[in-house]
Amino acid sequence: MSSAAALVLSARGVVKTFVSGESKLEILHGVDLDLVAGERLALMGPSGAGKSTLLHVLGLLERPTAGSVTLEGTDAWSLGTEQRASLRNRHLGFVFQFYHLIAELDAVENVMLPAMIAQSRGEFASRKREHLAKARGLLEGFGLGARLKHRPTQLSGGERQRVALARALFLDPPILIADEPTGNLDRDTGEVVLELLFREQQRRQLSLLLVTHDERLAARCEHVLRMDAGRISNGRRDAR
Amino acid sequence: MYRIFLSWRFLRQRRTNLIGVFGIFLAVGALILILSIMTGFLEETRKSARGSLSDIILGVTPYSRNGLPRDPAPILAEIRRDERVAGAAAHLAWMCLLTRDDEWSLGVLTDSQRSQYAGIKLTGIDVADERGAAEFIESLERVDKQGERVVDVKNPFAPPPEYDADIGRPRDRIIVGERVMRAHSLARGDRVTLMTAVPDPRSDTGWSARKREFVVAGTFRSGENEIDLQRVYVDRTQVARFLAGVNEDQALPKDAIEYSEVLVKLADYERDARAVVADLSLRLTQARLIDEYCSIVTWEEFRGPLLGAIENERVLMGIMLSLILVVAGFTIFAILSMMVTEKRRDIGILTALGATPRGVLALFLWIGFWDALIGALAGALVGTWLAIEIDPIEFWLSETFGIQIFNREVYIFDSIPSVVTPIAVALIVLGAFVCTLLFAALPAWRAANLDPVEALRNE
Ligand SMILES: Nc1ncnc2c1ncn2[C@@H]1O[C@H](COP(=O)(O)OP(=O)(O)OP(=O)(O)O)[C@@H](O)[C@H]1O
Ligand SMILES: [Mg+2]
Repeated sequence: MSSAAALVLSARGVVKTFVSGESKLEILHGVDLDLVAGERLALMGPSGAGKSTLLHVLGLLERPTAGSVTLEGTDAWSLGTEQRASLRNRHLGFVFQFYHLIAELDAVENVMLPAMIAQSRGEFASRKREHLAKARGLLEGFGLGARLKHRPTQLSGGERQRVALARALFLDPPILIADEPTGNLDRDTGEVVLELLFREQQRRQLSLLLVTHDERLAARCEHVLRMDAGRISNGRRDAR
Repeated sequence: MYRIFLSWRFLRQRRTNLIGVFGIFLAVGALILILSIMTGFLEETRKSARGSLSDIILGVTPYSRNGLPRDPAPILAEIRRDERVAGAAAHLAWMCLLTRDDEWSLGVLTDSQRSQYAGIKLTGIDVADERGAAEFIESLERVDKQGERVVDVKNPFAPPPEYDADIGRPRDRIIVGERVMRAHSLARGDRVTLMTAVPDPRSDTGWSARKREFVVAGTFRSGENEIDLQRVYVDRTQVARFLAGVNEDQALPKDAIEYSEVLVKLADYERDARAVVADLSLRLTQARLIDEYCSIVTWEEFRGPLLGAIENERVLMGIMLSLILVVAGFTIFAILSMMVTEKRRDIGILTALGATPRGVLALFLWIGFWDALIGALAGALVGTWLAIEIDPIEFWLSETFGIQIFNREVYIFDSIPSVVTPIAVALIVLGAFVCTLLFAALPAWRAANLDPVEALRNE
């Protein structure tokens, strides 16, 4: 929090209301959040507190009912759809609880997907070697050297999550958003994934926003935000 | 670039898509096959609609010549001066009743069930002019064992060997349609009676009856039922004498009618028909050979309503058959809709990775495009092949399975008519594309408007 220039992502007064039929349900009641370059920020809270909803708003996937999200110095939700998509593509890497790989693509192809989306046919074709090498490099670095051509269904949960992590890192985004990345894995497997996650975060100096239910995991982050019923309950961010 | 790549990958991995491809394949193939055969049938029908009609038909009003010459010679000469004309022949036609004066033959006239059998069109012709102007000689040559040939095609009205010279004064010969012969169970050498009435200013009623006996010289076969059932040929001047009520060897009276129409054959119908009709009507009017009561028309104008009906039918069939494409398009719609539901999560993933709604829309349109491309191309190839080879294929099927699909005896064609028009094939393929993409648009639009988060929330 030394200087405002180090802020990579910030939310101000984020309100999210879901309307289902007659009833309106306010899930987020004006949340403020800052993510500083290179920091690890954990978000904890009981189920239903609105953590995932907040991540989706911050990740430019769900439009807030009120409030703003500033990414790269621009108010991301006032941008056009195309620009916002491109921002998501280049600046944000997502890791989800359920891996969310595309079943029709093998591991390498899944990892290259962000580049496929970002680039035109010609551009991608001309850089295909480079992309392939990078995707293989990432997967090999994650211990999946023997799994390059495997489809998601042929991989274990831990392996899938490692592929998903490689995909999130493929375009070298400055921010990584992870929603219970180990929530679906057993402890040992989760450990492996987490080691990789933190290793990459350190090496690349990524800003990591991590939602977890695991206190031990939160303890490895520099800051922990506690969320309850749509509010950040511990006010400003506390160290440990 | 993911749109094309992923659409192709989705298509290959999801077997359900094959149903869509197959649907389009079937629709396009069937459409091409059916339309080709339809076109073939219609063209054959068109040909037979033309039948024995000449290229240009000039109709005159024989009983009110208003000072125009009654002899066809001047008008024939004038027509033949045009070098685009290949041949011209004058006919004298009149409606008659035909009977053999026995119970059977009269029975034909009283039998209301033989509704096809109407009056007889007595047609007077000049044999020498017929070749090159009309179908008469050809229809004599076409006679097979169903009928009885004339003795000498070059001189068809020569007395047949069965002719019994003892029956009194010489009788004129008549050539009857094959089915006229069968209706009255005639044989060569038989005598038949023609009866009719003609306008006659000297009679109290304004009409006089005519009756004359003829000897059957043989049959002709035009191939058209109606003509073979209703037409008989007699030498033109003898018809003139019959109608004028004078004997076969007497001179024609001055006011006898001698021709009622002139048939003209052109060297190149497609090129010259319209011009010749215009030129002839001008020149013949100037030469005072026709007046405003006469008509000059091409055979197409003559058969205008029928040809129009055929064309209508073709268009209507095309439109109705295009519904097949709509059905195929609908399978695409159903499959893509299923796929969008099934792919909700992937749509969410793609969006999270930076895909835009436009990109998602394009992705699903591409899937529709591949369906259309594969289905339509395969359908066009197979459909065209079937349409070209339908005759041997049908023959093979009949041989192998003993089922007869196309009964060559029922139809007037001896092979299944099929005409593949490249434009029609192109239009069908194009139609399949347009239809598929239109039907793909709705699910694609739905995919683009899905809430990506909802798809990502749960497993
Ligand atoms: N589309 C929606 N319509 C209505 N309510 C929704 C919708 N999405 C989420 N909610 C509600 O918002 C609340 C917060 O959900 P969210 O997924 O953000 O919680 P969470 O903190 O991530 O919980 P968990 O720890 O179980 O993942 C829940 O009560 C949920 O039912
Ligand atoms: Mg959650």
